Amino acid sequence: MTTAEAPRRTWWTRYTSQSPSLLTFFALVLGFLIGAIVIIATTPAVLDAWRHIFHSPTAIFSALKITWDNVSAAYRSLFVGSIGDPRSFVHSFTTGKGWDTTMTPISETLTYATPLVIASVGVGIAFQTGLFNIGANGQAILGGIVGVWAGSMLHMTSVIHLPLTLVAGVLGGIVGGLIPGILKAYAGAHEVIVTLMLNYIIAFFLLYVVLSTALQQPGQSNDISRTIDHSAILQPLFGTSSGLRVSYGIFVAAAVVIFAWWFLNRSTLGFDFRVTGANPFAARASGINPKAVIILVFVISGGLAGLAGEVQMASTNHYIDGGFLIGNAGIGFTAITVALLGRNRPGGIVWGSLLFAALGVGGRTMQAMTGIPLDLATVIQSIVVLFVATPVLVKEIFHLRTQAQGVQLATKGWGQ
Amino acid sequence: MTDVAITSTSTRSDVVPHGRTRAIGVLMIIVGVFSAWAFGLGSVADAHSAFTFTPVNVSSAVPWSLGQLTVLTRPTNLVLALLMIGLGVEVYVRRPSAPLVRFSIVAALFLIALLFWACRTPGPAQVPFVNLTSVLIGSSAIAMVLIYGSLSGVMCERAGVVNIAIEGQFIAGAFFGSMIDSTTHSFLLAALVGALSGAALGWILAFLAIRYLSDQIIVGVVIVTMMSGLSSYLNLQILTPYPNLNVGNIASNIGVPLLDKIPIIGPTLFNESGFFYLMAVLVAAVSFALFKTRWGLRVRAVGEHPQAAESVGINVARTRYRNVVLGGTIAGVGGVAFMATQGQFQVGYTSGLGYVALAALIFGRWKPSGAVVASIIFGLSAYLVNALQSYNVPLSSEIIGMFPYIITIAVVAGLIGRVRPPAADGVPYRRD
Repeated sequence: MTTAEAPRRTWWTRYTSQSPSLLTFFALVLGFLIGAIVIIATTPAVLDAWRHIFHSPTAIFSALKITWDNVSAAYRSLFVGSIGDPRSFVHSFTTGKGWDTTMTPISETLTYATPLVIASVGVGIAFQTGLFNIGANGQAILGGIVGVWAGSMLHMTSVIHLPLTLVAGVLGGIVGGLIPGILKAYAGAHEVIVTLMLNYIIAFFLLYVVLSTALQQPGQSNDISRTIDHSAILQPLFGTSSGLRVSYGIFVAAAVVIFAWWFLNRSTLGFDFRVTGANPFAARASGINPKAVIILVFVISGGLAGLAGEVQMASTNHYIDGGFLIGNAGIGFTAITVALLGRNRPGGIVWGSLLFAALGVGGRTMQAMTGIPLDLATVIQSIVVLFVATPVLVKEIFHLRTQAQGVQLATKGWGQ
Repeated sequence: MTDVAITSTSTRSDVVPHGRTRAIGVLMIIVGVFSAWAFGLGSVADAHSAFTFTPVNVSSAVPWSLGQLTVLTRPTNLVLALLMIGLGVEVYVRRPSAPLVRFSIVAALFLIALLFWACRTPGPAQVPFVNLTSVLIGSSAIAMVLIYGSLSGVMCERAGVVNIAIEGQFIAGAFFGSMIDSTTHSFLLAALVGALSGAALGWILAFLAIRYLSDQIIVGVVIVTMMSGLSSYLNLQILTPYPNLNVGNIASNIGVPLLDKIPIIGPTLFNESGFFYLMAVLVAAVSFALFKTRWGLRVRAVGEHPQAAESVGINVARTRYRNVVLGGTIAGVGGVAFMATQGQFQVGYTSGLGYVALAALIFGRWKPSGAVVASIIFGLSAYLVNALQSYNVPLSSEIIGMFPYIITIAVVAGLIGRVRPPAADGVPYRRD
C-alpha cells in the first residue's frame, strides 16, 4: 500500500473492479463450491472413503474419485433436471422426435420462474426505493386467495374471466401492500416488522378462508379451496397433450418485466422512487412527497406479489390449500433472494429467476437420481446471495481490485 | 417551576402523541365492551365456569389439591369487562406515557374472560372446566423459548446490530441439540453445542455486518433461509437414515424444594427443566449487566451513538462482535430449549418463533424485563390457539392465532405508546 506505483489499468483490472456481473459470477462459483463441501461432508459413501485413505497407498485416489463422482453426479443431475439431458437434445435434433420429453426440464424451469419473476420485480422495485418488502409471500397468498375466489365463484367467458382474475390477484396483493405502506408513511412503523407479521397473519387467514364454507371445496372438510373454472386457467403454451406445463403466464411475466423497466428507467414516478431510495433527504428537498412514494411503492410491490400468487395458482395449482406458498415453497421468500441477485433491476431479475428456478427444479431431479436432498438448492441460493450482498468479501477472496465506495444499504435499520 | 412543567409536558407530547394514547384508551374500552357483550352477556344467566388448578401430569408435585374455582360466568365476566373499561378510561383521561403495562393487563383479562366463557357449563365445551395450571405450564414452555430469542435480540440490538436471524439460530440450536442429546443423552452437552452453533451464526452475521458493512437485515433474512434449507437437507441426509441421531428426549423437570409445592405458581415456575432456570438467570444477568455495569453503559453507548462511543475510547467493532456472538449463543441455547420441550427435531417446527421473539423484543422496548412480559403474553395466546380448539369456541383458532402478530403491528405503529429503538440499531459503523 505504501508503494507509489500507480495501479496498472489494464482492461482486466478495470473490468474486474467494476463489473457487477463478474462479481455475481464469482458469488455463484463460491455458492457451488460451498454446496460441494456440504455434499462431501454429509454423504456417507464419501466420508467412508476418506476414513480409509490410510489403508492402502492408492486409497486416497479412490477417495478423490468417489468424492468427484458424488459431487459431479449431483451437479450433473441438477443440470439435467433443469435444462435437459444433452443426449436427448442430440436425439431430438437428429430424429426430430421426442421434443416433449427433451423440453420438459426447460418447461418446468420456466413454469417455476414465471411467478418468481413477477414477485421478484415487485420486491426489486421496493428495494430500489429503499424499502424492504419481506411480505411478498403474504401478498402473493392474498393474491392467490382473491384470484381463486374470482376464478371459482364468477362464471363467464375466458376473454373476460382470465383478465378479471389476474386483476383480482393484483387487488389482493395491493391490500396486503397497503397495510405496511400506510403504517410506514403515517405511523413510522418499520416495514420489515409489519410485513413479517403480516406474513403470519395472512397464513392464518389463508387457513381460515380455505376452511370457511365460501371458498372450501364442497364436500371437503380439509383445507382445500374450490378449483377455478377452466375459463380462468392460464393454459399451457403447447396444449395439455404435450405435457409441458409452461403456460401463457410467461407473457404476463414478460409484460411485468417490460413495465418495470419502463417504469423505473423512463417514467417520472419511477425516477422519484429511485431518488427516494438513493437519498431520501434529497428527494424530500426536491419536492417529492415521501409519504405518497412509500404508499405507492407498496401498492406496486404488493400488487405484483399478488399477481405472482395468482399466476402461480392459475397456471399450475388451479386451487389453493392451507400449504399454498407456505414454508420453503414460498415464492415470496425466494423473490427476495432473486431481487438481490439481480441487483433489483428487471433484466437482472429475469436471469436471477431463471437461475434460481433452475436450481429449484433441478433439485428435484437431483434428489430422485442421487438421493441428495433438493434443499441443497436453497442452501446454494442463500450462500450465493450472502456473497452478492457482500461484494467486498468476494473481491477480497478473488483478489480483485476494490474501489473505495460508500456504504450502500438496501434497507434501513430500526434505529434510522 | 412553571417553565419546567411546560417543557416536560411538551417533551412528553413529542414522544407520545396525545391522540395515539387516547386512541389506545378507546381501543381498551372497546375490548372491554366487546368482552362484556360476547363473554358476559353471551352466556345464559345461570351458566357457570370452573377453573381447576391441579395439573394432570405433575400432580405429584402438589401434595394437596386446590379444588376448583366455580363462578357464575356472566357476572364474573362483566366484572372483568368493567376492569378493562376502567383501565381504558384511565388511559384515555390520564394519558400515561407508557400504557404498555395497562394494555398487557387488559390483554390478560381478555384472555381470562375468554377462557371463562369458553368453558361455561351449559355450553358447547367438551371439557366443562379450564385447568389454569396446565394453561400456564403450556404457555410458559413457549414463553421460555421466546424469552431466549428476545434476550438474544436485546444483546445484539442494544449494541446496534439488528439480529433478524434469531429464527435461524433457533433452528441450528434445535437441530444440533437434538443430535447431541440423542447421542450423548446429556442436555448439558446439547446446550453447549447448540450455543456454539448459534454463536457461529452470530459470528457470520457480525463478520458480514461489522467488517463488510453489509445490510444487517438482508444478511439476517438470508441466514434464516439458509438454515431452514440446511436443516431440511441435513434432516433428510443424516437424521432420516440414522433415526437414533434424532431420538427426541424431553428434558426432565427439576423441582425446587418447597417452592414447587405452592399451588399454581409452583408447577409453573418451580417445577421446570434446567433450561427454564437458566433462562431466568440469563434475564437477571442481562438486565443487570446492561443497565447496572460499566460494560452495559458502553454497549448501550455503542448502540445509540457509535461515533461518540469511539471518541471516548470504546472499541465499537469489538463491542458489536462480542454482543452479536453472545446474542447468537443465547438464541442457540433457546433452540435447544425449544427442542427439549418439543422432542424430535422436525423440519420447520420452530414455525417462525424467532420472528415472534423479535416482535416480543420490540413490544418489550428493547429491555429484558419488557421482553419477558411480551413473551408471556405471546406465549399465552400461542398456547391458547391450540388449547381453545377443544372447547368448540365459535371464535376460530385461526383468528386467535393472529393476535400476537396484530398486537406487534400495533406496537411498532406506535398505537400502544411509542417505542424507540436504539438510535444506531441497524446502522453500519465505519471508522473514518
